[in-house]
Amino acid sequence: MRWLALIWKSLLRSRRRTLLIVGSLVLSVFTVAVLQSLLTTLDSITDNPNSGSRLAVRHKSGITQMLPRSYETYLRQQPEVETVCALQWFGGYYQDPRNFFANFASDETTIFQTFREEFGLSSITEAQIKEYLRDGAGCIVGESLALKNGWKVGDVVPLTGTIFPINPRLTIRLIFKSSRPSDENVMHFHYKVLEEGVPRMKGLTGAFWVRVHRPEDIPRLIDRVDRHYANSAYETLTETESAFNLAFVKMLGNISAIIQGITIAVVLAILIVTANTMGTAIRERGSEIAVFRAMGFSASRVLSLLLAEGVLLVGLGAALGIFLAQAAAGAVRSALGAVMPFFADFEITSATALLCLAGALVVGLLSTFIPAYAATRRPITEGLRSVG
Amino acid sequence: MNANAFDLGEGAPIITLRGIAKSYWRETLEIPVLQGIDLEIPSGAFVALMGPSGSGKTTLLNLVAGIDRPTGGTLEVCGHELNDLDDDELAAWRNAHVGFIFQNYNLVPVLTAFENVELPLLLTGLGRRARRERVAEALDLVNLTDKQWNYPRQLSGGQEQRVAIARAIVTDPDLLVADEPTGALDAKNAEEVLGLMSRLNTEMGKTIVMVTHDPKAAHQARHQIHLEKGVLDRAVEVNR
Ligand SMILES: Nc1ncnc2c1ncn2[C@@H]1O[C@H](COP(=O)(O)OP(=O)(O)OP(=O)(O)O)[C@@H](O)[C@H]1O
Ligand SMILES: [Mg+2]
Repeated sequence: MRWLALIWKSLLRSRRRTLLIVGSLVLSVFTVAVLQSLLTTLDSITDNPNSGSRLAVRHKSGITQMLPRSYETYLRQQPEVETVCALQWFGGYYQDPRNFFANFASDETTIFQTFREEFGLSSITEAQIKEYLRDGAGCIVGESLALKNGWKVGDVVPLTGTIFPINPRLTIRLIFKSSRPSDENVMHFHYKVLEEGVPRMKGLTGAFWVRVHRPEDIPRLIDRVDRHYANSAYETLTETESAFNLAFVKMLGNISAIIQGITIAVVLAILIVTANTMGTAIRERGSEIAVFRAMGFSASRVLSLLLAEGVLLVGLGAALGIFLAQAAAGAVRSALGAVMPFFADFEITSATALLCLAGALVVGLLSTFIPAYAATRRPITEGLRSVG
Repeated sequence: MNANAFDLGEGAPIITLRGIAKSYWRETLEIPVLQGIDLEIPSGAFVALMGPSGSGKTTLLNLVAGIDRPTGGTLEVCGHELNDLDDDELAAWRNAHVGFIFQNYNLVPVLTAFENVELPLLLTGLGRRARRERVAEALDLVNLTDKQWNYPRQLSGGQEQRVAIARAIVTDPDLLVADEPTGALDAKNAEEVLGLMSRLNTEMGKTIVMVTHDPKAAHQARHQIHLEKGVLDRAVEVNR
């Protein structure tokens, strides 16, 4: 028998206690892990590091109004600008209208540069990009979208238009990997497909995405662009990607306060339950603790054995809770990921898992220490007198 | 020799009590339990500690075994002045020198007989293999090798007490203390346990101090010491 075996066997002494503690930890760690991950996921939307260097230029009167593609020339001439990409939401579906994913007609010549982080450029080759540029009816798709539909390079994907009256048949020329799964639930195809198929779209686009060299230049550029087109037939509204998300951020403030509040309440509740259960379990073992000490186990040795028991018990519950939360996160991703893109990123990060585990261990130590300390400071003779 | 000084014959003393006193306090009221105990017990003795209920037998035994501290006097046991040891040193001393046998066995219910016996060895520096050998020897001595994988609830009272005895001797201590070891056993099992203790005394030379109410049990010992209201009353040599 080793020390660990002794601790383990003592753990299994009271099934009721073990089940109660493991069960309540599983529940609470699960809850906290899911809530915290939700928070992380929501945060990551507004916290996109690439968004700081991009601007969206749209029609001042709203997203459905178009801008002339000729604006590109002026935008490109600005010294702060690195690239400009015309991008139009196409809103088509594949086979079933419920099978939603983002698809765009975009300027194939600048799309990779403008959104280079999202495309994970290291995962695709120059040759693949050339393949796409060469084929006017080609398209590119994210890996998770391709996986979901069983697509591979060379497959022809018929899209059914909803906003525009065309049903393009597109050949997959490239499948890209992204660091965030939500960025992979996307398809792009040549802008010409839209322009040539839909006469009223000729020479027009819904928005330009502009990438600047240095984020500090953004305010000046916004100002200049909007002033340049003021009082023209097509007035512009230019804003940063982050500004675009600002409304969202305000809402997040409340959500995060609520989530943190719930987390604290859950932690306190679990601390009370664990402390109470541990306390009862340890008090029931008064005579056994006395026997251990009579045999020569020092008070601090017995204390560490009891603490190890508490920590192991709580650690088990926490690990199980995290495991279940991971499973639940997977279910959320596949159930909601397609409908609400940000849920495609929903996961229990290792940071969240570690935080939960650490929190649980602190709870385990705290809840065990007080009764265990009291029990080991009790005179041995008193412990021996108690029957048990 | 003063009325309270007891010397149980020749041989180097393993236990020497000088003016031992123990009191409890209830608020400011002192409740004396033991007073002025002077006692020498030679190595290899088998002593039965007797006396009416509440006379302080358990209290005295606990002092000798180093799980309680006197409020007055000094005691030297197995070569150590116990008052000089701090709590951790005293714990290490108990592990090395004292084996405990309790009335209600006090085995750990979640451990097998084997593991219960192994428990005090976890504190020694012995490796797994050496520990196994020592446990096997101890279990063989109490004749329970065939029950070593049983849990306490799968043993009879007599068997449980024999496992407890194996646990008490597995570290090869000089001194065994037993508080009414046959108190919960029927006559037949009591006799078996007492026979075992006798053998530990005569064959292995263990010094045994045993608290008992039972005259039959006391008869197994070589000396009987009587406590009366916290003072030593008389010592009797048992003629066999
Ligand atoms: N913690 C304590 N606080 C107060 N009094 C105590 C305490 N422990 C023991 N006593 C008292 O000390 C006296 C001696 O107790 P002890 O247990 O030594 O008696 P005993 O001779 O072993 O009796 P028994 O034969 O019933 O076991 C008793 O009167 C008891 O009430
Ligand atoms: Mg007693």
